[in-house]
Amino acid sequence: MKTVVLAAAVLWGAAASGAPAPAPHRSVPPARASREKAFPFRVERKTLENGLRLSVVHYDSPGLVAYYTLVRTGSRNEVEPGHTGFAHFFEHMMFRGTDRFPADRYNQIIKEIGADSNATTSDDLTVYHILAGKESLPTIVDIEADRFQHLKYSNPAFQKESRAILGEYNKGASNPIQSLDERMRDAAFQSHTYKHTTIGFLKDVEDMPNQYDYSLQFFDRYYRPDNLQVIVAGDVDSGRFFALAEKAYGGWKKGPARPEVPAEPPQTREVRGTVSWKSATLPAVFIGYHTPAFSTASKEGPALDVLSELLFSDRAPLHKRLVLDEQKVDDLEGGAENRRDPFLFEVYARVKQEKDVAAVEKDVEDEIAKIAANPPDAATLAATVSHIRYDFARSLSTADRVASAAARAVALTGDAEAFNAYYAIFPTLTPKDISAVARKYFAASNRTVILLQPPAEKAAEKGESK
Amino acid sequence: MKKTTLALAVLAAVVSLPMRAAETPAKKPGIATVLLPSPGSPLVAVRLVFRTGSSDDPAGKEGLAALTARVMAEGATRSRTYPQIIDALYPIAGDINVQVGKEMTTFFGTIHRDNLAKYAGLLEESVLHPKFAAEDFKRHRQDAIDEISKTLRGNDDEELGKESLNVMLYAGTPYGHPADGTVDGLQAITIDDVRNFCASHFTRDRLIVGLAGGYPAGFAPGFAARFDGLPASGAPRVALPAAAPLPKTSVLLVEKDARANAVSIGAPISVTRSDDDFYPLYVANSFLGEHRTFSGVLMSQLRGVRGLNYGDYSYVEGFVQDGGSTFPVPNVGRREQYFSIWIRPVVPDNTWFAVRAALYHLDKLEREGISEHDLAQTKKFLETYTKLWTQNASRRLGYAIDAKFYGRDFQKELQRRLPAMTKAEVDAAIRKYLPKGRFDIAVVTDNAAKFRTQLLGSEPTSIHYDTQGTPEAVLTEDRTIEKFPVDVKAEDVRIVPAGEMFQK
Repeated sequence: MKTVVLAAAVLWGAAASGAPAPAPHRSVPPARASREKAFPFRVERKTLENGLRLSVVHYDSPGLVAYYTLVRTGSRNEVEPGHTGFAHFFEHMMFRGTDRFPADRYNQIIKEIGADSNATTSDDLTVYHILAGKESLPTIVDIEADRFQHLKYSNPAFQKESRAILGEYNKGASNPIQSLDERMRDAAFQSHTYKHTTIGFLKDVEDMPNQYDYSLQFFDRYYRPDNLQVIVAGDVDSGRFFALAEKAYGGWKKGPARPEVPAEPPQTREVRGTVSWKSATLPAVFIGYHTPAFSTASKEGPALDVLSELLFSDRAPLHKRLVLDEQKVDDLEGGAENRRDPFLFEVYARVKQEKDVAAVEKDVEDEIAKIAANPPDAATLAATVSHIRYDFARSLSTADRVASAAARAVALTGDAEAFNAYYAIFPTLTPKDISAVARKYFAASNRTVILLQPPAEKAAEKGESK
Repeated sequence: MKKTTLALAVLAAVVSLPMRAAETPAKKPGIATVLLPSPGSPLVAVRLVFRTGSSDDPAGKEGLAALTARVMAEGATRSRTYPQIIDALYPIAGDINVQVGKEMTTFFGTIHRDNLAKYAGLLEESVLHPKFAAEDFKRHRQDAIDEISKTLRGNDDEELGKESLNVMLYAGTPYGHPADGTVDGLQAITIDDVRNFCASHFTRDRLIVGLAGGYPAGFAPGFAARFDGLPASGAPRVALPAAAPLPKTSVLLVEKDARANAVSIGAPISVTRSDDDFYPLYVANSFLGEHRTFSGVLMSQLRGVRGLNYGDYSYVEGFVQDGGSTFPVPNVGRREQYFSIWIRPVVPDNTWFAVRAALYHLDKLEREGISEHDLAQTKKFLETYTKLWTQNASRRLGYAIDAKFYGRDFQKELQRRLPAMTKAEVDAAIRKYLPKGRFDIAVVTDNAAKFRTQLLGSEPTSIHYDTQGTPEAVLTEDRTIEKFPVDVKAEDVRIVPAGEMFQK
């Protein structure tokens, strides 16, 4: 499915950029994918007495293991005012060391084993990942179990890291996509914490150096075995891993009760907003429609994924008209990202000339109305379903990607194999199901529209807008 | 545009181990072939690499190579419209990606082996029989102009800083403009220019055909032979001036609205992967500023200890990150390279301190060399980390093709040399090749006049901490860094509005 690039509110990495390079492997040929489970790998599980869940995903990547520690906490869990951005901030703090492995020593070990190590935070999860040779597994279990249980950092170290977070905010600030994302969420959500981006409101990021005590509370609350899952994919002996993990993580205590995330009330009227850009830019239309949470028990999510393809893929009629024939738009995307709670189906169109913005917005609405009234033909639906399944199979191309998919599934549902149930729904979709979700969710009253507005032509030409 | 020149996601390929590498000459002379068969793999990675790039752009038509490649990869062929090509690629989940660097243009994709024949046919059509339809030309040219005039100038300060540094380093040479082109250059290009450039620069003698993964036995020779229909040869290879030390330090202040200042610092160096000395230099650089890891001195000192920004790294060759990974894309080979430091956006009060801090640590490395301990750590790191560069068939294939460009397989050569590499070799490379005291410095800033006054003044440029508890040893070092000499003359500081960059 074609999801909107800017909705990918994933913040990469305390250290580096995120997803490590794929590892070699032999996967299930995609051609067979439609007859097999979407996530076709053998998974072995064990739950420790303290609630920590362990999953081993057997995957043919000779000599390599991907080690994922998933915390089922993301910016979604930042319920207290003034503390947005803390899940991501905490991801950075996790690299600040323990008594046993101070930060320098931890980094030295990572360096010695030649691992690619990093972490990412998004709305629903924080995930720490290491890709390394399988011989390093005992070392990885040792250092990871230690830091999740015994993280220790000083207030000065905390404050210095808070300014790296501000630096991360600043690096994104020259890209209008960050501003569009901020504005969309703020406008579309009233109660739910999806109102803020993962990096947090700027005022909260700026105040982070003063929140040391809160950071200790955050760690105590969320970094607990019953809120984590460790997933190891690749060339791994499950019995050996379970034994190592039992020893390393077994003494860890369960945590206190965690706050509920407030529900979002239904939207009742269209909301509109504008991001006025001070530097040169193309204008853009960014539309968000509230859509349901990820579910393996409903046809609606898969139907929305099909809609994404039918409306916004490169072969969609709207793409052909706006991008290729009329050449009014240079980038057209749309889709609903999977989220634990109801989020948005987002549509993004970057428009070449400001005079066409209103017409492009109307074209998008008209195209949605067409499919709401006229179900796609069965052959088109079948081809689209096949493409989606094929694409997912192709995405599971390395140990690291397999572990990442399992981690996302855990974040969404708690189950590493949740995508099997999800992708099993696609073949049951009918053309009417597609139109039904279009009618249900793409109403004007369920829509938020944010326009990206370039500066006046003269200022943009000079590049001096301030 | 969706596919910016080098910002392409490389599709993951799958391979089964062990793999056997082979290099086989194609039937007709002129087409080199790199083959990495892995019969058990269901996927096939394909790379068609031409030794053609933006350095081949004629003066006044900057952007011609990239525009030509895009019209080929994402345009009509003689037998199909572009929408028909999209329709044909959709059911086989195929993409024809294109990447254009200074001296290489790569058409590439990864496809399930069941669909390889169809994909190969579509790729052949695009490369051998492009139609150069007027509507495709118009679309891609406008997208490229927008990419420069809107996106690069106003949507990404870090890329703006890097491309500005490139212009400083290579002004007046074939490397001296972004691969996407310049606004005036693109506007001057006609559809006939594109057609003629394709005929003269996408020729058989410039092509390397690469296949990796589970392609069927006997497939490779026929696949390579499909490209026999290309013109045998065309334009001569463009001459490049040899790298020379900078005569002085120059500063370019690119002015635009900016919350924080992106900084790129660089100087040409005279070695590439082809040279013995490049390898110890690479090790020294990994210690100083390995891309996006905490193992580098710059990252540790500027970000870790001082909280100046999000990251700080250094490079001894042109570096383009491969999608969301931390690894460089392959097939951006160059005959001339440069050293650079990338300082990610810093709040304006601390920008000049950050520049001084980076140059201070470079100078320290040049004065003191690398310690035995640090060398041992860096070697150990690289011994394993280098293996992560080639974890899928497409990347492995890319590296194998780069080996033909440089005459050496970089990954294997580095791994082979690491165990025996000595401190003396690394220190010698540091002394001989890392730039000393003279740099080109590009800064994206919203207050260039103030910044200019600051850097030409004699006052120390102190770091302004808004955090508590900085250790005394760091504060002491700060007092040295804030006065670290950077010799810049007033006439060597230029202020250019972002809106005027990359115009010509």
